Amino acid sequence: MAEMTANLERSHEEHLREQHLMLDPKPRGEMNAMVMEAMHTTSWKFWVVAVILGAIVLVGLFGSWGYMIAEGLGVAGVNRPSYWGIFLVNTVFWIGISHAGTFISAILRVFKAEFRRPFTRAAELMTTFGLVQAGFSIFMHMGRVWLAYWLFPYPNQRQLWPNFHSPLSWDLLAITTYLLASTMYLFLPLIPDLAMARDRSEGWRKNIYKVLALGFRGTEGEWTHLRNAMNIFAFAIIPVMFSVHTIVSWDFAAATRPGWNSTIFGPYFVVGALHSGMGAVIMVLAVVRGTMKNMKYFIRPEHFDAIGKLMLIISMTWAYFFFNDYIVQWYGGDKWTKTLLHWHEAGPLGWMWFLMLIVNVAIPWLVLWNKKWRSTPWIVFVVGLLINVGMYIERYIIVPISLTINRQPFTWRLYQPGIEIPLSIGTLAFFILLYMLASKFVPLVPVWEVEEGQMAHSVKKFGRETVVTVSELE
Amino acid sequence: MADTVSLLAVFPDLEPAANAIDKLRSLGLSDGQMNVISGIPITEAMLGRPRQWTNVPRLALGGAAGGFLVGLFLIFTPILYFVPVGGQPQIPGPPSVVVLFELTMLGLLISTFLGVFLDSTFPSYRPMEYVPEISDGKIAVLFHCPQGKQEKFTKAMHALGAEKVEVAEAQQL
Repeated sequence: MAEMTANLERSHEEHLREQHLMLDPKPRGEMNAMVMEAMHTTSWKFWVVAVILGAIVLVGLFGSWGYMIAEGLGVAGVNRPSYWGIFLVNTVFWIGISHAGTFISAILRVFKAEFRRPFTRAAELMTTFGLVQAGFSIFMHMGRVWLAYWLFPYPNQRQLWPNFHSPLSWDLLAITTYLLASTMYLFLPLIPDLAMARDRSEGWRKNIYKVLALGFRGTEGEWTHLRNAMNIFAFAIIPVMFSVHTIVSWDFAAATRPGWNSTIFGPYFVVGALHSGMGAVIMVLAVVRGTMKNMKYFIRPEHFDAIGKLMLIISMTWAYFFFNDYIVQWYGGDKWTKTLLHWHEAGPLGWMWFLMLIVNVAIPWLVLWNKKWRSTPWIVFVVGLLINVGMYIERYIIVPISLTINRQPFTWRLYQPGIEIPLSIGTLAFFILLYMLASKFVPLVPVWEVEEGQMAHSVKKFGRETVVTVSELE
Repeated sequence: MADTVSLLAVFPDLEPAANAIDKLRSLGLSDGQMNVISGIPITEAMLGRPRQWTNVPRLALGGAAGGFLVGLFLIFTPILYFVPVGGQPQIPGPPSVVVLFELTMLGLLISTFLGVFLDSTFPSYRPMEYVPEISDGKIAVLFHCPQGKQEKFTKAMHALGAEKVEVAEAQQL
């Protein structure tokens, strides 16, 4: 009997170790080798996909953009009354995607959520590359991009007096701050892993890592400075993240247009950003786990389960804000707002409105409540993809569809995108291509953070139960 | 330092490294004569070492103050070219809060980042005492012992579980 109980306990402990990366430690050298092998092992399929994406970027992004520059903004579908089209939908969408990195890395770090450890970098990379696409989209929207410097607020002989109090200046400041902050926040915890890669590389790779690792050795002083800086970043970048999408929402809400002039747009946009961002993170993790060598050790069903729970909560929060925004406008009874709401639901693109609610709310609620489903990579990949489709549609409804209805019915005209479509596909391809290439140069798993977490975790017996415990090491 | 020799003792784990530090103290070395190099952050308390000084929080505060001042400058620029607009204040309050917030945070984050560079003297590409095993999870204790006592210190480190003890030579990383 005693032997049977001991066996049961042992098998439960083994089960816990299988489930939790933090309880299944490997020697650091082995984990380093696994991450390096994942970076260095590249199949022919990778290059085929990279070449296809590269061609799409060349033709769809740079080719179409060049054509638009040569021919003028007339080749795009933006026109009266929808002066803001897909370019701004893309801007809002990509800024939204960029929120996931900070959310996972900073908020989960502050709250010491241990499951974050193996995929913080994968999420942070999304932030930086997402913001690059958002920047591209803003410049596309400008049309005459070679005159972009006119936007920079400095007193000049053209008597364009800069107004730093304008919401567009807020945008410039917020997006620039967030891009710089998230890039620095990506780089700081990367330094020890770059040093690890330096110690294990040869030739040109070693030279690159040597430069990027800055001479890091891991002395007490270096770790102290790094840890302090990462703590400051983790706390300070959270309000910056909130401010970015809030300010983006004010670009709309500060106008007195029907459908836009809403006091709840700030938090509604932030939650929407987290919704699409988390969906994108789970997609990236499913692809990384499925395609890169050794990643099944680092990214496990427990991680999909944890992110799945967050996605479910965020989906509920998004639904709450959506309904809050909707019912106040609906109850207000303003003639043009009611016309716009009717147009959203029963206009020629009414199917989008219903699809948005199905994929943003109904599907996550139906799927993510189930632990088995939300721990299955391909299922959560599909849910993440659908959420991103839904959130893209949400922005499409807010920007060009809402602009169709205004207080001057003689101007009403349905927006028909033109060159925006290949440009959008091009930015998506560019994001994926950048990520793929980065995965071959940047250690996607912060090995030192994983090792630190594994040191802090252990199993302990409480009565007859074997449970996971975490020690506070910092 | 001509009368001392630098040794690097590599330990497989935290416990023997902490014991080694105690031993080095008992052999007459001060905390300033030793340093610990590791592949993960190990707190001073774990090793029984004195608290490390860092200027990063102070630099961050300084940067935040600098960013705030730049923000103040920007929001008061309309005074330089006042364009009167009916019903609108010259320096509106709420939009100024946004500008001040963003620039304060930008100053804080940039100075925090640069603070790591300044305090750690990054980038530094000169030769340094290091062994690549450190990033494989080993913990190295780098210390300066008096000339002629090298053997005694080496033996003491081996007795505490050091995998290797060698004269620390600066090498190109």
